[in-house]
Amino acid sequence: MYKINRFQIYLIILAVLVLQAGILNSIKIFGAKPDLVLISVIFFALFFGSGAGLESGLIAGFLQDLFAFDFFFANTLTLGLTGFIAGLISNNFFKDSSRAEFLAVVFFTIWSMSLHYIFIWLFSKPLSISYPEFFISAVIPAGLYTGLVSIPLHKIFINIYNLKEADDYL
Amino acid sequence: MRAKKSDIFKALVIISVTTLLVVNSKSIANQSRVKFVDFISPVLKTVKTAASSVRAIIPFATLREENRILRERINLLNRRIDELKVLSAENDRLKTLLAFRKSVPYSTIPAQVIGRDPTNWSNSIIIDKGSLNGLRENRPVLFTKGLVGRLIEIGRTSAKVLLITDPNSKVGVLIERNRQGGILAGRPDGRCKVVYIALDSDVAPGDKVITAGFGSVFPKDIMVGVVTRVGKEPGRLYKYAIVKTAEDLSKLEEVLCIR
Repeated sequence: MYKINRFQIYLIILAVLVLQAGILNSIKIFGAKPDLVLISVIFFALFFGSGAGLESGLIAGFLQDLFAFDFFFANTLTLGLTGFIAGLISNNFFKDSSRAEFLAVVFFTIWSMSLHYIFIWLFSKPLSISYPEFFISAVIPAGLYTGLVSIPLHKIFINIYNLKEADDYL
Repeated sequence: MRAKKSDIFKALVIISVTTLLVVNSKSIANQSRVKFVDFISPVLKTVKTAASSVRAIIPFATLREENRILRERINLLNRRIDELKVLSAENDRLKTLLAFRKSVPYSTIPAQVIGRDPTNWSNSIIIDKGSLNGLRENRPVLFTKGLVGRLIEIGRTSAKVLLITDPNSKVGVLIERNRQGGILAGRPDGRCKVVYIALDSDVAPGDKVITAGFGSVFPKDIMVGVVTRVGKEPGRLYKYAIVKTAEDLSKLEEVLCIR
């Protein structure tokens, strides 16, 4: 398993979140924008294990909750769980493959948005959109878009980390 | 020291010969010069060619430098043009906003959008005005073409606006043509849906949707959007209409907050 500096994880998540809140809205397609935060959490989970996935997911979700207007901790729970589960499959995952990364990101985008829908449905106000409609109009575009963006981002992350054994342990 | 006789003789001979040469030199000199010039002319020609080439090269070097400077200036001017285009577009937007601000019968505060909700679920924006500028919770936010949302969280120098496309947003609306009422709810895909439209209502695509003014948040008759699709959900006793918002809420850069 690769090792990573915890501080780097927080810094990258913060940078990606600011990028997403600041400018990514201008490249929306079919109402969806690529979820860079989710891509980062999945990356950390796949390369650094379920612990890193859970931790980065919780932090990223908490920061997203500060921006959003849902019931608090909806994003924390969703991203935390997503990061943890992505970490669990990391040992059986071919990490260097862009195609595998694309499929994983599409799957986990669908998973996390569906989980979010369930949380809102259970704990928040009634929704004006049914799940099948939500799935077709929001989840599929977001999943594909995020998956496509994850391919170059995955390579950038691999280059940034130069994924070798590091001195610092998470 | 006295000069020897032989030295004096040598000097006299040299002077005599030189004098003779000088006196009879015209033809000798001419021939010598011609031959010398003939001999040296290729060298001169080469030097001349080289000099010409150098003279030709020196302006090229200058031209190259001039070209570089001109290219830099073109790049600079192109950047200026791009900046001016952006400023011009901003100027047009702000002029429209100012004209709209004068036309609305409310006291408004213009604000700039500085951030957006990072998730794919919610739709809210962050603006650069807050309580210090007199903003208060639940006040409507507009732009030139219509309703944007309402203020939900107010900081000292920033505030969060819940867009009408957010799933948590509910707005009482009317279909302008037949005054049929309904509730406009946001959806995670960035569109809006009017629910609770009576089954016998003749709502059709193209109908304009305006605020009803029933509650205390949104004033009456503010443009919201246009109906794009009408349908009926199975098992429900009302129709619904999908609405395209008057403003493209994903591209907002400035908004007007009603005080």
